[in-house]
Amino acid sequence: MLSSELIFLLRALHAELLKLKRTLAFRVIFVLPFFIALLQFFVIWRTKKFPADFNLWQTHATNSFQIWAIFMMPLLIALETALLNGIEHADKQWKHLFALPVPRHSIYFSKFITAAGLILASTLVLALLIVIVGVVATSLRPELVSSSLRAATSSVGATGSSVGAGPSGAGSLRYFGLGVVPYFWIAKLALEVWLASWLIIAIHTWISMRWAGFPIPLGAGIGGTFFALFAASAAIGKYYPWLLPMNLFLDGRFTTALVLGIGGGILATLLGCFEFVRRDVS
Amino acid sequence: MQAGEYLIETRGLSRRFGRQVAVADLNLLVPAAGVYGFLGPNGAGKTTAIRMLLGLIRPDAGEVRLFGQPLMSNHRALMSRVGALVEAPSLYPHLTGRENLEVTRRLLGSPRALIDVALETIRMTRDADRRVREYSLGMRQRLGLALALLNKPQLLILDEPTNGLDPAGIHEMRDLIRRLPEEFGVTVFLSSHLLSEVEQIAGHIGIIHESRLLFQGTLAELQQKQQTELAVGVTRPEEAMACLREAGWSVAQRDGLLSVVAKAPEDAARINRLLVDHRLDVFHLALSQQSLEDIFLTLTR
Repeated sequence: MLSSELIFLLRALHAELLKLKRTLAFRVIFVLPFFIALLQFFVIWRTKKFPADFNLWQTHATNSFQIWAIFMMPLLIALETALLNGIEHADKQWKHLFALPVPRHSIYFSKFITAAGLILASTLVLALLIVIVGVVATSLRPELVSSSLRAATSSVGATGSSVGAGPSGAGSLRYFGLGVVPYFWIAKLALEVWLASWLIIAIHTWISMRWAGFPIPLGAGIGGTFFALFAASAAIGKYYPWLLPMNLFLDGRFTTALVLGIGGGILATLLGCFEFVRRDVS
Repeated sequence: MQAGEYLIETRGLSRRFGRQVAVADLNLLVPAAGVYGFLGPNGAGKTTAIRMLLGLIRPDAGEVRLFGQPLMSNHRALMSRVGALVEAPSLYPHLTGRENLEVTRRLLGSPRALIDVALETIRMTRDADRRVREYSLGMRQRLGLALALLNKPQLLILDEPTNGLDPAGIHEMRDLIRRLPEEFGVTVFLSSHLLSEVEQIAGHIGIIHESRLLFQGTLAELQQKQQTELAVGVTRPEEAMACLREAGWSVAQRDGLLSVVAKAPEDAARINRLLVDHRLDVFHLALSQQSLEDIFLTLTR
């Protein structure tokens, strides 16, 4: 029984992949991270004097992911889900899809997974750009070489200490400094930010399926993000969906952000699906 | 399916939207094979009925049975035997015709070869790799039909498939639909607001008006409802009308002539004699057959 449900879901995902062909939804996952990378590049490049204890990778990667988490990613989620479901509203595809011998929930789950997949892809693009910007900045500003050797975080342990070890790390700088990049730590940050965003993705998947067109989904995204900018300091901010990815970086909120992001995301998807499969299709 | 059963059978099917009744107590019986024409003016409830046949919306009361089985508890199994095109086709304009079919094929998990079969059926193999954005309305409609045919359905449900098409497009679509029962053994349930659309291809007809089914039967049965109208020109028409009514005829006055509903052509002679016996002079006597269109209009007036 479960395996047949899984087959329906895989088929629906397979169909979603084809629908993405030639779409803005696919292209935009490369565009938005690029803006952040560009901003970061200019910030590092134009900095007059770096403090003595400047830690290139920690500062650069954390800043990039924070801008992503609080601002760019929530808006990308609103945009992506509106685009993904917009192609179904445009020609009233729901009536075709739901007259097929395919369970409605497989369509719903495939929409959530596709959106989450695109957000993950975009976050990984950002991670890649963070590495490129860091490496390029190091080659443009030679005084950054020593700061790029500092461990990204003290907790990174093995990776950090080997990077900070000095001679061996300095040796690999010949290869454009690629040897000293804390890859694992950056990938881990990317993954955590993505996991904490599941609840936002789930909310927007439901909203954009429920209402056709851009005004309501994008309005919800802008509203959600707007309040997030001010909720960060409030106690309630710990549980505010649009703030969860940012909360990863704030003291005492890391675990709640991950648990609520993932758990809330799954729960909201189930609730949204429950409502969606019962609806009249016009 | 057992002999004598119907592909579509609805019992007391009803649905309202707020206060407005869309479909009331609909009892459809659609036999296997051939084309069933589901007729009614715009807004009569055709689309609502079709959405209930497909399980897209739930009835307030009543039941839909397809292939003899209740739709509610067998939706997935029954839909695998049904193809549908409801109103405008649901297409992704940024994909090609072939890719649009491929999206549905992936969802169904059916063999790739079916795509070429469907494209050949609608005669669109040549344009299959162009984006749907560039398609004409007629081509889009045919592609919608291909989507409905993709899974080799036994029952095809088409809602106003020629709506908005130009005459050439209408002709092409009608030709396609007419071929389907013969070539693929599929039963076609076809809705339209024009009798002329379906009278050439449908064997069975259902007429819905203001949410209710007014007629259901074969085209021949509908033709039996045809009436003969006798136009009578007579001196002193008021007196003549009273006289005819007294004799049991149904009479109306129209354009200075009397219009009498006759059962058979011989009635003309009887009416003539009746009037002459009453010393009324008849100067005009003409029989005319009601067309099917007239019956349709009379029923849905």
